[in-house]
This record gives sequence, structure tokens and C-alpha cells, in this order.
Amino acid sequence: MSRLAGILLVLALTGCAGTGPVLSPHLPADSPGTAVELRDTPFFAQTDYQCGPAALAMLLEAAGSRVTPTDLVPAVYLPARQGSLQLELIAATRRHGRLPYVIEPLISVLLEELRAGRPVLLLQNLGLRSHPVWHYAVAVGYRPDADEIILRSGTTRRKLVDASRFMRTWENAGAWGLLVMRPGELPARVDPGAYIRAAADLESVGQIRAAYQTYAAATAHWPDNATAWFGLGNTRYHLGELEVAEHAYRQALRADPGYLAAHNNLAMLLAERGCYPAALDALEHALEVSQPGDALHGTLLETRREVIQQMAGNGTAAGTACTPMPSDN
Amino acid sequence: MSSKLTRKAGLYALILQFAIATFPPMALAGLIQTPEAIAAQQHELSRQQLSEAVAREDVQQQLVELGVDPAMALERIAVLTDAEIAQLNHRIDNLPAGAGVLEVIGVVFVVLLILELVGVTNIFSKF
Repeated sequence: MSRLAGILLVLALTGCAGTGPVLSPHLPADSPGTAVELRDTPFFAQTDYQCGPAALAMLLEAAGSRVTPTDLVPAVYLPARQGSLQLELIAATRRHGRLPYVIEPLISVLLEELRAGRPVLLLQNLGLRSHPVWHYAVAVGYRPDADEIILRSGTTRRKLVDASRFMRTWENAGAWGLLVMRPGELPARVDPGAYIRAAADLESVGQIRAAYQTYAAATAHWPDNATAWFGLGNTRYHLGELEVAEHAYRQALRADPGYLAAHNNLAMLLAERGCYPAALDALEHALEVSQPGDALHGTLLETRREVIQQMAGNGTAAGTACTPMPSDN
Repeated sequence: MSSKLTRKAGLYALILQFAIATFPPMALAGLIQTPEAIAAQQHELSRQQLSEAVAREDVQQQLVELGVDPAMALERIAVLTDAEIAQLNHRIDNLPAGAGVLEVIGVVFVVLLILELVGVTNIFSKF
């Protein structure tokens, strides 16, 4: 048994020798040798074990938020674990009104974001798989000629790390990378679902304006995405801008006529203006296409009951008040 | 401050943070919030999402490692009937909600689903 382990160990040790350059296969064919370095990315040296607060502060500041690692320590540092959790870094980003976006776990994506001028917060495992030593650093560039990644790490402002060594530490940490963006910015490589969920998460913690800006960017980029329009409608509704909200709900329904939640919220909005027949129309339509097993079926029935009650109490607004607002164009 | 008191204060701070993070800022009764609408939708894995999943580099890598041609997987998905897609959705119905399809069920699971669709395995019949 121990002999087998010995053989495996030797295989594992020799298996690493003779690898080619790591970065160049992942760089664009037209400019493979061009180095990238985001020199303006601020640097905060970490104190004690607090690499999480330091790394996040660098990214928040790079995204225009004034903050120091000390401000972040209470929010993201766990003294008992001598570290920060990824989820807390994400939550703290939201609290500062910035959009956290976890990149696809690929080196090509990391390099692409750096080329787009965006530093990336990374998790590394500097120990072994079995005995991890977690560390957060910020990637600010790469040098294809030397096959190196440039990091802001620990107390070092400009740390050059051999790419193959970097890949080991990064992949052993799940190749986790976080972007911190101004709301309305889009990552270089973006998944619409993930981006819109990131907006919805901003919305759910009360960052309504930041969420609105993100949805607006999403609808501009994917005009046929019903969820993006729906989120735009909800945030505008929360901000009291009912005309824009109504337009957005109608756009959601144009993109997806079966979008139950948009029918529901449009009906709520119409009822608020006293347009009960139009509200009931929207609900009837939604109830026709939904099944009793659908998650939102019960909500639709409940909304209909409410609208009918309100109508009985208030009477219906007359004539022109109930044309769609604003007129679609 | 005694350490016990500090810990208690810390606990309250944590609870407060959790409360702020978990609940919507203001409740307009009856209005469906965006996260709720997303959660209601994401159990429906569409043909498009399946194709997108196969197009991802990491999924393709897994498929190739398992000896499946990603182009073939893509072709097979394109000709799936709605009934087959519904059947597929039925299988992921009992999975937890939260993030997107790939994030929730994971790359490996999607790969397994695709493998079964293209007839390489039939692990799900054992469930």
C-alpha cells in the first residue's frame, strides 16, 4: 500500500514537468504578446490576516466608492476564522451600492476582464488541497512574455507570480473571481441570467437605484429579456415612477406574453390608478395561461380578489385615464 | 467591555445585518418582487438554456472527457420534443431554488442530464 502511494507520489511529481506557457493559449490571436497592467488600481496593504477587507477595499475604490479596509473589517472579517467568506465580500459590495459579479471560473475570462480594464478579486489556496491556506488577492494585469500574472497581494503592491503556479493556487480555490462594478456597467463576458440575478439581489437588499441602473443596462443590452424589463418595472415602481414602470411591464409582456409576474404587477399598477377593468383583464389573461400548480397561480388569484374588492369600494376611473401610460412607441 | 458582552453585541449586529439583507425594503402588498419571479421561472430549463449549457467551455470539457462529442449533444438537444424537455424539467423539479440553473444544479449535473439525453447513460431511471 505504501509502495503504491510512493509510486503515485513520484508520478504526481514528474507529471508537472515540461508544461508550456500558460497564458498565451488564452490570449487573443491578434495581440497575444501585449501585456496588460491596471496601474491605477489602488493598493491597501493587509494587516494581520485581513486580506479580504484589503482586497475588497481596492476593488470598491477602483469602482469609485471611497472606503478603507478598516471600514470593511466589521462587515467581512471573521476573527475566529482569521478570514472572510466569499459571500460576505459579495454582500458588502452590495451594501456599498456596487454590483458584485462572479466571473466564469476560467483563466480566459479573467484575462478578458483585465483587458477590459477591470481588476479582479481572486481567491487562492496557497496551501495544499487537503490543508488549504486561503488568501484573497487582486489581479491587476499579466505579462505574456514572462508568463506572469500581476497581483496586489498581502503587503506587496506589485507581485509577479509565475502563471502556472498562479493557476494551481487559483484552481485549488475553485477558480473563484469577483468583479466589483459601478451599476450599469457590463462585464466583458457576461451571462444575462447571472447579470440580472445580480441586479435582483441588489434590489432585494434595498439598493433600488443601483438595481434600477443595472436593469436599465440589461434591457439596453438584451431588449428581448423579459426579466430585465420586469426588474426595471419593479424598481421604477418602488421609486414612485409609475409611468416608466408601466411601460417596462408592457415591454416584459411584449418579450414574453406568458410572464405571469408582469401581468400581476401591471394589474396592481393599473388598479392603483383606478383602472380596474384593465387590471382584471391583465389578470384574466394571466390566469388563462397559468396552471393551478404554477408557483404564482395563487398570487394571481389573490391579486384578483383584491382588485375586485377595491373596485367595489372605489368605483372605476373614467374614460381616457385608462389608456396605457405612456403610449408605446 | 467583557468578552461575553462583546460577543452578544456581535450577535445582535449579525442578526440585524441578516434582517437587512433578507427582507425587501418596503412591501407593496401583492407586488411580486423580481427575485421571487426569477425563482418561479428557473425550474423551467428551456431548450435554449440547454444549448447554452453545452456551449460553455467547462461543460464541453467535461463532455469531451467523457467521450461525448459536444456537437452531437447540441444537435440532439435541437431536436428534443417539448415532451422530452418537460420530462427533463420534471427531474429537476425537486432541486433547490436559489441561483440559476447551472449554479444550482452544477455543471456536472447538467453534463449528466445531457449524457442521458444523447443516450450515453441512463442513470436517472434509477431515481
